[in-house]
Amino acid sequence: MSTYLYLSLIPEALVASMLAPEDFGLYYAIGSSKRSRGQAIFFSVDREKIADAGFPLEDVEARCVAHEDGRPKSSLYLSIYRVLERVPRDALTALHLATDDGRVLTIEPEEFVADGEDRTHLYQEICPVSPRIVSHLDPAEFAGFITDTDRNVHVPRIAFTELTLGNLKNDPDHKDIDNLPYPNIGHLRDCLRELAKAPNKANKTVLRQMTQEVLFRTIRNGVFVGDSTGITAFPLPSRDTLEREHLAWWRSAQSTFGE
Amino acid sequence: MPAWFWLVPVASIVALGSAYGFFREMMKESEGTETMARIAAHVRAGAIAYLKQQYKVVGTVLVSLTLVFCVVAYGFHMQNPWVPFAFLTGGLFSGLAGFIGMRTATYASARTANAARRSLNAGLRVAFRSGAVMGLTVVGLGLLDISIWFFVLTRFYGTNDAHQVVVITTTMLTFGMGAAVQSLFARVGGGIFTKAADVGADLVGKIEAGIPEDDPRNPATIADNVGDNVGDVAGMGADLYESYVGVILASAALGAAAYASSGADIQLKAVIAPMVIGALGTLLSVVGVFFVRTGEKATQKQLLGALGRGVNGAAVMIAVASIFVMRAMGLENMWGLWFALLAGLLTGITIGQAAEYFTSQGYAPTKRIAAATKTGPATVIIGGLGEGMMSVAIPVLAVVTGIGLAYFFGSGFSFGTDTMSLGLYGIGMAAVGMLSTLGITLATDAYGPIADNAGGNAEMSGLDPEVRQRTDALDSLGNTTAATGKGFAIGSAALTGIALMASYLEEVKIGISHILDRGLGYTFPDNFHLASTATAELQSLNLMQMMTHYEVVLINPKVIIGMFTGAMLAFVFSGITMKAVGRAAGQMVDEVRRQFREMPGIMAGTQDPDYARCVAISTKAAQREMMLPSILAIAAPVVMGFIFGVPGVLGLLAGAAAAGFSLSMFMANSGGAWDNAKKYIEEGHHGGKGSEAHKAAVIGDTVGDPFKDTAGPGLNILVKLMSMEAIVVAGVTVAISLV
Repeated sequence: MSTYLYLSLIPEALVASMLAPEDFGLYYAIGSSKRSRGQAIFFSVDREKIADAGFPLEDVEARCVAHEDGRPKSSLYLSIYRVLERVPRDALTALHLATDDGRVLTIEPEEFVADGEDRTHLYQEICPVSPRIVSHLDPAEFAGFITDTDRNVHVPRIAFTELTLGNLKNDPDHKDIDNLPYPNIGHLRDCLRELAKAPNKANKTVLRQMTQEVLFRTIRNGVFVGDSTGITAFPLPSRDTLEREHLAWWRSAQSTFGE
Repeated sequence: MPAWFWLVPVASIVALGSAYGFFREMMKESEGTETMARIAAHVRAGAIAYLKQQYKVVGTVLVSLTLVFCVVAYGFHMQNPWVPFAFLTGGLFSGLAGFIGMRTATYASARTANAARRSLNAGLRVAFRSGAVMGLTVVGLGLLDISIWFFVLTRFYGTNDAHQVVVITTTMLTFGMGAAVQSLFARVGGGIFTKAADVGADLVGKIEAGIPEDDPRNPATIADNVGDNVGDVAGMGADLYESYVGVILASAALGAAAYASSGADIQLKAVIAPMVIGALGTLLSVVGVFFVRTGEKATQKQLLGALGRGVNGAAVMIAVASIFVMRAMGLENMWGLWFALLAGLLTGITIGQAAEYFTSQGYAPTKRIAAATKTGPATVIIGGLGEGMMSVAIPVLAVVTGIGLAYFFGSGFSFGTDTMSLGLYGIGMAAVGMLSTLGITLATDAYGPIADNAGGNAEMSGLDPEVRQRTDALDSLGNTTAATGKGFAIGSAALTGIALMASYLEEVKIGISHILDRGLGYTFPDNFHLASTATAELQSLNLMQMMTHYEVVLINPKVIIGMFTGAMLAFVFSGITMKAVGRAAGQMVDEVRRQFREMPGIMAGTQDPDYARCVAISTKAAQREMMLPSILAIAAPVVMGFIFGVPGVLGLLAGAAAAGFSLSMFMANSGGAWDNAKKYIEEGHHGGKGSEAHKAAVIGDTVGDPFKDTAGPGLNILVKLMSMEAIVVAGVTVAISLV
């Protein structure tokens, strides 16, 4: 039976498991007896590339073993707290987005290419901190800004996603914002207006902390992991691809209330 | 027998033959992939299991009541001896109509989804023609039942004596009660079943487990789809069968009474005119079905146009063709009756349009409810209740205008008491006009759940996005056309209620004549006495004189007591059925939770849920919970008649009709508006899916579910069943009343 290593972002943890990503996502989202639910965002981790990161990997063989009745070990927590910063970007081989009811979408990493056109972005930081930010910076610039060691306020590595702004992207006062499910849209408009008035201001905090799960349907471009050396993108497939090839996940992603 | 009568059995055979042809045509279609066929088989098995159980209960009730009527008719001679048998056939035919419709629908859903893989038009064709099976079966069986009984009774009683014709028509009316009992159980039981499954599936599946609608991992999802069939198809079929025959028979009875002194020939023409109009409408409905076709690459708008062409085409044709037929029949006051018929058609259309305006997300009321979601569920509920209450105004005004016009035209432009019977006959003809094209309007109604189930099947089978878009388009189309069908059903129920009250007085006269036949005299509450030999004098009493002798005036406490009780019953009935849904949904929630807990493979997709157990829970709950409201409806007129006599019963019927009609419209429209407000948000407004507004809208929709699909439709039948019941037991009420 194979053993897998996962880097979970919610909560931040390195977990060993005998479950393949789809099964681990299901287990992580709903538990073993359907008494809880909650989305999960986690990466598959290449063990070789974290061999020197100081994690107790020797425990994997010792403790991540099948139960006496033959059931696979679902999870063995190897580390919590400040885990992301110790896992290099190239160790992240795939991103898995598990919906509330345990449907899992797997996304392979890609080189990030900025389109250079967008000047307004809405970012939801996920780990290790989770404010929601409006920004003039593209994802690579944003990751560089947040992980810039020359700044007093920075983190070593950041996982974040870009959320859609719809018509607010170009006009904070636009009336047609009907499909944006964010709470307190008025405040978001204020932040965007303030950002627009100050071209030299890179970012503006909208929410200090993530108050609800990420509604996957609002993800634009994808999920990113960045540090001072660069950025890795995990792009969400197009709507058409989701409808054709990942229908079960996509339906589930749309039916959640993101609690 | 007038030659025109034979159009009735001919139309019946044409309708049933066409229905069979459409059924065969539908069955030739493929059910699609193995998954699609498997899902359809689950739904079909569940629906059949439910109906078997329901028919056992209803069968027991029908047989028990038949035995009671036998005792009353043959033991105490207080009732026409044909009543028990007429009652039984009405129940059987009504059940059969619902069963055939539901059986067709459960075969049609996967085939519709599969046809939608080819094109939108192919999907429409399969769904609509399957709906037409139901529509044409209902009217075909209705006309068949009417033809057989009219033929048998006229052979037995003859048609030369005006009084005997009145007896024939009022006797036939009693088979409407059998149909009403069947339809009450079908509508209320089906309504409880479907909403218990729907609410249970949503509460655990969507809210707790976060799984999408129509997800095969939800144990209640098959029960939910079964519910669409047993509630919206079988229940509606039985309901409208009862409305259809009730309207025709009540009008025939009013025609017999109104033209009793005009000579046998004229009277008989007035009696068969509603049947002939019904037959004509049925033939034109068959023609209308063939109007519903479009090109292979039709847009949604073109599809709507095609459906409209079928329904409106049939309505226009009946309006025109009835001129020639009524003229050829040589009816008295032919133009007056034709305008009354036209008034009925226009009233139905107005009610349908009003329902569409108040419940469609394309119009302001539903958009206002959707906007209220931004401030939470409380304002959604307040908004939905408010809009629903406002929505009652137009239909009620349309009905009272229709009643006024039909009466005016029928009576020869007079509101005098001497022409009251003619005016009431005009109201009856208006109701007949409204339901004359039921064959095709019901097809558009039954088409809705078929398209809905096809969408569910496409989702569960994971068909391509284009196919799901097509089934969604078909479903959306069904919602629009169903509003018109609903308008005709509700409007006709209101008009039939009036006609049945008048027929009740005719039945009371027959009840008195039974007393006189036994050599006894009869004294009215105003002390007007009829000697045992005064049969002719009894027959000469017009409706207003009957009302006078029974002291049916507003200041008579018996009438007031009856009215208040009738209005109260409408609310109590609604309360009982809504609470029943709550209890049944609670059991469903427990079961779904249990399955998720004890069968962990369900969520992983490695283990099939126990769908049958959820179907069984809904079935049992529906059977148990529908007994109390049904008993209430059956017992109320008997008890009221036993205590307060004819004035009490008339008050009861008037109170129940006035309150029930308004309450029914309110509940149907509130529920529909909440449902569509949620859909409006899911289309991407006010934050769209997953937003706080969406969450509030889901709460509104859940509240509205039992409003629109259980209590609302049940109220119409409550009103009609109480009227029918009053007519059937009129003989007993006349013979025995305490006060």
